[in-house]
Amino acid sequence: MRSRSAWTWLVAKEWRELLVARAFWVLLFAIGPLVGVTFIGAVRAYAELSGLNGNPTAGVGEAFSPLIGVWAPTFSACELAAAFLLPFVAIRVVSADRQSGALKMELQHPMSSFARISAKALVLIVGWIIASLPPMIAIGLWKSYGGSIYAPELLTVAAGHLLNAALTIGLATAAAGITEHPSTAAIVTLTVTVGTWILNFIAAVQGGVWERAAGYTPTAMVAEFQHGLIRLDVLLVATTLFVTGLAVGAIWTRLGVAVRRRVSESMALGAFAAAIIFAAAFAGASWDTSEARANSFTESDEVALKQIRSPLRIEAHLAAEDPRRLDLERKALSKLRRTLRRVDVTYVAATTTGLFEQTAAHYGEIWYDLDGRRAMSRITTAEGVLETIFDLAGIKAPQELDSEIFRGHPLAVPPKGAAAVFYGIWPALIVAGAFLVFRRPT
Amino acid sequence: MTNAPIHLGRLLQVAHLTKRYGHLAALSEVSFSIQPGEVLGLIGPNGSGKTTLFECLGGVLPADGGALLVDGRPLTAAELKATVFYLPDLIAPWPSQTVRWALDFVRGYWSVPWGHPRGLAPSLSPGLSLDVVRRLDLEPLLDQRIGALSKGQRKRALLAFGLLTPQPVLLADEPFDGLDLRQTRDVAQTLRYFASQGRTLVLSIHQIGDAARVCDRFVLLSNGRTRGEGTIDELAHLAAPSGATTNNLEEIFLALT
Repeated sequence: MRSRSAWTWLVAKEWRELLVARAFWVLLFAIGPLVGVTFIGAVRAYAELSGLNGNPTAGVGEAFSPLIGVWAPTFSACELAAAFLLPFVAIRVVSADRQSGALKMELQHPMSSFARISAKALVLIVGWIIASLPPMIAIGLWKSYGGSIYAPELLTVAAGHLLNAALTIGLATAAAGITEHPSTAAIVTLTVTVGTWILNFIAAVQGGVWERAAGYTPTAMVAEFQHGLIRLDVLLVATTLFVTGLAVGAIWTRLGVAVRRRVSESMALGAFAAAIIFAAAFAGASWDTSEARANSFTESDEVALKQIRSPLRIEAHLAAEDPRRLDLERKALSKLRRTLRRVDVTYVAATTTGLFEQTAAHYGEIWYDLDGRRAMSRITTAEGVLETIFDLAGIKAPQELDSEIFRGHPLAVPPKGAAAVFYGIWPALIVAGAFLVFRRPT
Repeated sequence: MTNAPIHLGRLLQVAHLTKRYGHLAALSEVSFSIQPGEVLGLIGPNGSGKTTLFECLGGVLPADGGALLVDGRPLTAAELKATVFYLPDLIAPWPSQTVRWALDFVRGYWSVPWGHPRGLAPSLSPGLSLDVVRRLDLEPLLDQRIGALSKGQRKRALLAFGLLTPQPVLLADEPFDGLDLRQTRDVAQTLRYFASQGRTLVLSIHQIGDAARVCDRFVLLSNGRTRGEGTIDELAHLAAPSGATTNNLEEIFLALT
């Protein structure tokens, strides 16, 4: 008798079920050209801005970071695949047992339902890693062109997309567990995905608590990872949502348990997860892994800012949709929050667009309050904000060191061979692989 | 709480099992006993509640009341899983996989999760797979996908899966459904063989002739209620006041339901 555990048998079974899932092969087939389109477009743009076919001394590419210029767009294909293709693979793997009747047999094993679902999740994550091969190939191609690679930021982007895929798997598992039919599960999953986009839209319009909540949607989460930022609160919230999704799926695939009990268990689980998410939102640690320090002030600015011990209060009279507010948030305040322990930002606006508030007395003003000393500025750039804060704190602004300036890695090389790889070789390999799997009985 | 199977040699009792779908009572206080090593036939027309009863006993459908008892106490959920395996009808598990792989999986997945209690070890031996395959004439089907099997072939494969599980009590829903005459006879012999090896079999059968051929005792079910329980002689005695004059199971069934 083989000594494999029942769980290992189950993982092996789920792996075989994944391999015979047509949705998985469609995902594999589609992701190659998707990555190809984004990678080729990004490399071309990067090359042009670096001087290809133009004036090589233009210098536009000097501050170019491969993270923003190449990897963020290239990996965005994974985001598309995770939103529109992966759910169908996950639903297929989770629902197949129920549809075929195998669930009724497998459930009679004493193994816990969560262990059963975790076997599926593990296989789906491995499947996703395989589907992530095209971006890995893109990295290889970029290296072959002589492009610069900064491993920490690349790993961060890849980890962000893996976490995003895990969220999709969690959501699809929950949907497939609760609903009777895979098509209903697909509708539920896509509805939730679209719902998060609506949340992002409302957040952009309304700001406030919506903005806070939208920070944990998959889109926002991936965007931060794509900029090389790892936030502990985002990691904790995403992990909690993933595990909760699996647990909900586990609860609802226990066919022998009364529906009323499953509902109450789901509600208790939801409350528990909400409490963890609420607590996780206070985790302030974050790590900027980007080579360009895209999410941080310069090191000397950070050293200077850390001299400030008192809480800093900022009141910005800018509407939610005002582009200056977006600038202020991205270029200054998000970096400030990562550096200073106590920063309290309040936005004041009577409308969402600010279009008709421009003539209002204080609109556009940004007030800073530190130890009772107040200053006002309208500048939304990082330099302007820092200057105001240093003035207010009585700290001499540090000199910008040449070594601290990110010069970028211009690369004026066209994406040679990429089209053949992503539009030809990859699809051909996937078709051949699918042919072999579906042709052989075992 | 123990998760060891209830050993053969002890009487199991289904007590007051009740299941409702809204106002419709699928099972009403169904009670009967399961004796160790017997082949018990659950006889009833379509819609009488046989599958619902099996699903409740197999733990894949929540019952509204009642329990499976041993020594007068209800089995815990873990004991139930270790003691009873329910083989559903009309399923095609793992349709994209081959019969060979599925047999291997069933044997591996259910192997030794709760130790090797006496009476189970033979079920777990690799030789059993060959025995089951041979007796159910599955050799020609081993490399076929389950989803591509005919109804009768799939039924034989399903029975093989059930017979490979280690639980001492096997509940098989309509084991002869989809089989031709010769296959029905062969499967009946196979089931009798495994019963003689110590496995307790409870078979849900709507063809009374098939039931009479293979079962030791019978439970008659109609409209979700138990109408009688016992051997043919015992049932004939029970049915005599209702006008049954022979030991013909069909007549007895009609008289009691």
